[in-house]
Amino acid sequence: MNSVVVLILGLVVAFIGYRFYAKHIDSKIIKSDPKRATPAKMYMDGVEFMPTSKNILFGYQFKSIAGAAPIIGPIIAIQWGWLPALIWILAGTFFIGWVQDYSSAMVAMRNDGASFGGLSHKLISPRARIILLAFIYFYLLLIAGAFGNVVVSTTIALKAAPMAWLFLTVGGILAGQMIYRWRKDIILTTIVTVVIAMAGIWFGSIAPSDSIIGASLANSRWVWAIAAFVFCYFAAVLPIWRFALPINYVASYIVFLGLFFGIIGIFILHPDFTLPAYTGFSIAIGPIWPIMFVTIACGAISGWHSIVSSSGTARQLENELDARPVGGGVMFIEMMLALFALIIAGTIYASSAEYGAAIAKGPGGIFAAGVSKFLGAIGMPAALGRSYGSVMMIVLAITIMQLVIRFMRVATSELLSDVSPVFRNPHIGTFIACVLGMVLVMTGWWQYLWVLFGGANQLMASLALLLVTAWLMSEGKSAAWAFWPMIFMFITTIAALLYTSYNLLIKVISGAVKGEALIGNTLMGLVGLFLVVAALILGSEGMKALKRYRSITKTQAAAAAKA
Amino acid sequence: MSEEKKKKGGFFGAVKEFVYGVAAHDSARFALKSRASMEHLFILITMGDMLGVPILPPYYSLRLLPYVVPHISTWKRRMLKEKDLTDGLA
Repeated sequence: MNSVVVLILGLVVAFIGYRFYAKHIDSKIIKSDPKRATPAKMYMDGVEFMPTSKNILFGYQFKSIAGAAPIIGPIIAIQWGWLPALIWILAGTFFIGWVQDYSSAMVAMRNDGASFGGLSHKLISPRARIILLAFIYFYLLLIAGAFGNVVVSTTIALKAAPMAWLFLTVGGILAGQMIYRWRKDIILTTIVTVVIAMAGIWFGSIAPSDSIIGASLANSRWVWAIAAFVFCYFAAVLPIWRFALPINYVASYIVFLGLFFGIIGIFILHPDFTLPAYTGFSIAIGPIWPIMFVTIACGAISGWHSIVSSSGTARQLENELDARPVGGGVMFIEMMLALFALIIAGTIYASSAEYGAAIAKGPGGIFAAGVSKFLGAIGMPAALGRSYGSVMMIVLAITIMQLVIRFMRVATSELLSDVSPVFRNPHIGTFIACVLGMVLVMTGWWQYLWVLFGGANQLMASLALLLVTAWLMSEGKSAAWAFWPMIFMFITTIAALLYTSYNLLIKVISGAVKGEALIGNTLMGLVGLFLVVAALILGSEGMKALKRYRSITKTQAAAAAKA
Repeated sequence: MSEEKKKKGGFFGAVKEFVYGVAAHDSARFALKSRASMEHLFILITMGDMLGVPILPPYYSLRLLPYVVPHISTWKRRMLKEKDLTDGLA
C-alpha cells in the first residue's frame, strides 16, 4: 500500500468521526449549549479558570498530549505487521480515543471544573479517590521509566543527539532568562534561542558524542540515564519558568517544524510500505491481543489525554461547543501523528531483517532515519536530518518525563506528608522519583517497560471512561458509547498487564534472570500487579456506582409513569 | 471585500493563536499560577481572619483592605476549594 493512501484514509476517518459521530454525540446526547456558563466563566480567577479562545486551547491541548508515545507505539507495533497497527490506530481513535478526550473535558466542565480526584469521590466513592491517586503515582513512574529508556537508547544509538540536546538545554535556559529576567522581546528571544538549538543540531552532526567523550562513555547507559534524570531533577526543583517551561518552549518549534516538513516530505516521496502487512498472531513481546492494543497507546487512546482534558482544558473552555474541536479534534490530529510514525517504520527499510536489526537498538534510531529521509525530500542533508530526528525524539520524550518527575514530587508530598514531614521537602520527593525511574531504566528490558507503560496508560483511559459512564448514568443520558469502549479497554489492559507481569515474574521465580534483570523484572512485575489490583478495586467500586445509578433511574422512571 | 479581509485576518489570527497555544500558553498559565499563589499567600497572612485564621492585628488588615478587595472572592474560592494531586497535573 502507498503511504499517501494511508494518510488519505486517516483524513477520511478523521472527517467522518469528527463531522458525524462526534457531532451526533455532542448535539444529541451531551446537548452542548453555547448559552450555558462554563466553569471558566463562572469561576474566572484569571489563573486556572480563564475563558480562552478555542484556537489557543487547540494548540495547548495538542502540545500537552503529543509526546513520544504516538510515535514509538506504531514503530514497535509494526512487528505484528502494518495492517493490524493501522486498523487499531483508525478504529481505536474513531470509537474510543476521541470519545475519552472529549467526554473527560465535558464531564469536568459540567461538574464545576472538578478534576478526576474530586470526580471519583463524587461519582464513585471516597475510597475510589485514594486508590486512583496511588494508581496515578505508579502510572507516572512507568511513564518516567519508559520515556527515560527512550532518551537513553536514542543518545546511544545516535551520537549526534547529546550535543543537540545540550544546545537545546542552553537555548531553553537562555530563553527563560531573556523573557523573565532581562524582559527581552519575545520574538527576539525566540529567534536567538531557536537558532542556538538549530546550531546544536548541526554541531551534533559534525561532532558526535563518541568523538568528544570517547566510545566507552558515549555508549554507556549509566552516563545517559544519569544525564536524563539530573535534567529532570533540575526541572522538578527549579522554578518552572527557569528551566522546564522555556526548554519546552524552544523545543516546541523544533518538533513543530520537523513534523510539518516531514509530512510534506511524505507527500513528495509517497513511498510504498515495504514491511509485511501481517506477520503473525504472536511475536517475541506477546500476542496481538492484548499486547498490540497497549503498545500503540496515545495514537489510538491514552489516559494521559483524559488528565489534560479534565484538569487543564476543561477549566479554560469558554463555550461548551468548543469541547468537540479541542477535545475530539485534537485526538484526530494525534491519530495523524501516529500514522506518520507508522509510515516511517513501514517504508524506510527494505526488509523485515533490516527493521529487526534497527528496532533492537531502540525506536529512536528508526524515527531519526525516517525524519532524515523525509526531510531529505525538501533538501536537508542526511546526516543533519538524522541529527534533527534524534533531537526530536529526545525532546518528545524528555518534555513529558520532566513534567512527570515534577508531578511525582508533588504526589510524594500529597500521599506521604502525613507519614513524615520529611516527604514535604521537594528534594526528597524528586530524589525518590528519580531513583525509582533510574532503576526501571537501568534494569528493565525496554519493550516490556513500554508494554507496561502502555497498559497503565490505557487502564487510566478505561478508568476515565468509567467516570464518564457514571456521570452519564447519573444524568440519565445514554451511556453505551462510553460504557462499551470502557469495558473493552478494561479487559484488554488487565489482560496485557497480567500477561506481562506473569512473564516478568515467572523468570524471577524460575531463576532464569540474574543481576540487573532480576531487579528490573521484579520491580516491573510488582508494579504491574499493583496496577491490576488497584484497577480491579476501582472497577468493582465503579460497577457498584453504575448499579446504584441504574436503580435510581429505574425508580425515577417508575415514579414518573405512576404520576 | 471587507468580509473577505475579515475572513483572511480570521484565518491568520487562528494560526497565530494556535502557535501561541502550542508554544507559550502553558508558560503564561504557570506564570499566572505562581503569581496567584504568592498573592493568595500574602492575603492569607494579612486577611486570614476572613477565613477564621487571625494572624495580623486588624489595623494593618484595614490599611491593606482597599488593595485586597478586588481579589477577595477569587482568593476565598481558591483557598477553600478541595484539592488533590489530579488538580495539579495539567
